[in-house]
Amino acid sequence: MANPEVHHLFHHPIADHSFSADRQTLAVARDNNVELYQRSGKGFVLQDELRGHDKQVTGVDIAPTSGKIVTCSQDRNAYVWEPSSNGTWKPTLVLLRINRAATSVRWSPSETKFAVGSGARLIAICYFESENDWWVSKHLKKPIRSTITSIAWHPNSVLLAGGSTDGHARVWSSFVKGVDERPEASVWGERLPFNTVCGEYLNSTAGWVHGCAFSPSGDALAFCAHDSSITVVYPSTPEQPPKAVISISTQLLPFVDLLWSSESEIIAAGYDCEAYRFSVNPSSIYLTGSLEKAKAGRPSLADGREDSAFNMFKQMDLKGKGAKDDTVLKTVHQNTVNTVRVYEETGGEVARLSTSGVDGRVVVWTL
Amino acid sequence: MAQINWRTINIDALDPDSSTNFDLSSLTPHIEAISTSEIQQVGGQIRQLLRGGNAEGALQAALENVPYGGDADGKAQHATVVSECLNSIRATEMSPLLSRLYSSQNGSELCDTLMKYLYKGMAQGAVSKPAAGGNSHGARNVSGAGGFTQAGGRNFGSSEAGGGMSVFLSWMEKLVEMVGPGSIVRVMSDRRTV
Repeated sequence: MANPEVHHLFHHPIADHSFSADRQTLAVARDNNVELYQRSGKGFVLQDELRGHDKQVTGVDIAPTSGKIVTCSQDRNAYVWEPSSNGTWKPTLVLLRINRAATSVRWSPSETKFAVGSGARLIAICYFESENDWWVSKHLKKPIRSTITSIAWHPNSVLLAGGSTDGHARVWSSFVKGVDERPEASVWGERLPFNTVCGEYLNSTAGWVHGCAFSPSGDALAFCAHDSSITVVYPSTPEQPPKAVISISTQLLPFVDLLWSSESEIIAAGYDCEAYRFSVNPSSIYLTGSLEKAKAGRPSLADGREDSAFNMFKQMDLKGKGAKDDTVLKTVHQNTVNTVRVYEETGGEVARLSTSGVDGRVVVWTL
Repeated sequence: MAQINWRTINIDALDPDSSTNFDLSSLTPHIEAISTSEIQQVGGQIRQLLRGGNAEGALQAALENVPYGGDADGKAQHATVVSECLNSIRATEMSPLLSRLYSSQNGSELCDTLMKYLYKGMAQGAVSKPAAGGNSHGARNVSGAGGFTQAGGRNFGSSEAGGGMSVFLSWMEKLVEMVGPGSIVRVMSDRRTV
């Protein structure tokens, strides 16, 4: 496993991050603004700042093909930023019609719509109406009973999964006539009008769902909840109960975000400040290891420096305390990891992924 | 014009979308109601196992038959049965017993339930009142009596059968070694309370 590429951008929490399609631009949500970094050499330099939101920006997403950036914030607004000819970014306000903060935003794979989760107990599906030249939103309300914390699109751009603080992860159809083509029949159902609930899942403890993700083929849904568990649902047909619902309660702290790196592997990261791999199939799920290098995982070994008595007393003399420097975590991230996203993908398998966290670092991992 | 003071109208009760009209029972998975007599029955069986010397079996039975659907009284009774089991197991037997429990089927859920009872037991000790229906040291009331509260509390804690708080703490130490912080998080986030 190659070394991870660490970019310590600043000393503030990063709520969300997104790379452009060519991976040369990185958009990072920082307080009320979104900062755009351009790759130069091995690192990233600040190139531009998107100002427009009045409150903290909670979600950023860059559309791979069109290059448009969508941002959502706690000020109940979302903006779509388009690059203009002279290099600046022009924002277009999207009327979400929500009366609480927006919590997350993602472009659909087809890039004709995006979904915004909010604390107003609904998800706003926004699409562009060309007659009026503006973005219109339609709401997915039933049966959400609390804040939506995370959303994930199915590859067919019609099905949407949402995790909520009412302990449920649900799958809806967000089919918009005129914008979407009729999707093929899948295990989640066929002939799905807008706001059809294709599935509603909760685990036995009903803890808040922090993150959810569809498998690369779209035939399975995984979600991670605050009770330190990951649950994977394999549906069979729309009317029947699912083929399999497997869940693992881990010994670790809860996960905040997860993604499928292949049809049989999930990578999740959260309050333990590191990313873990899980091997999953319809009959079982188990933890296979961490993305961190092995040496960092063994707490008994000293941290690379000389482990001699001389050094120990030198450190005691220098710093006035014991030999171990315990202010720095052994993991690459020094604080909670908030977002895990795909960086490089080949044929349905993820080769590299990027994580960002509360410590202001964006790290690109190689699997 | 109506003579009602419109400022006193509770608009939230009339608004179907508001949070006061939120049916909270829809949030949890379905829990069956258990009557107090059933809980007492189970408690009696567990005490029999304890008297017969099978503390491990008693603990396992107590953790498997958790009365999530019972009322506060029933839950408190079951909690005292569990703490009796915990008190009767020796310190040296704790770790092997826990590893057997964890590796059994449904093990991690049983350990989570044990963690919930540990926290509940510690909460009762901290309030410094005689535990509901439990450790029979009479109704010694130590609350608020001037400067004696702290001294009384300390006495009470150490004179309970088996040492009270220290039992829970030593169990907690052994359990966390096995199941890690994930179990503690599950206790905090689980909507089913013991």
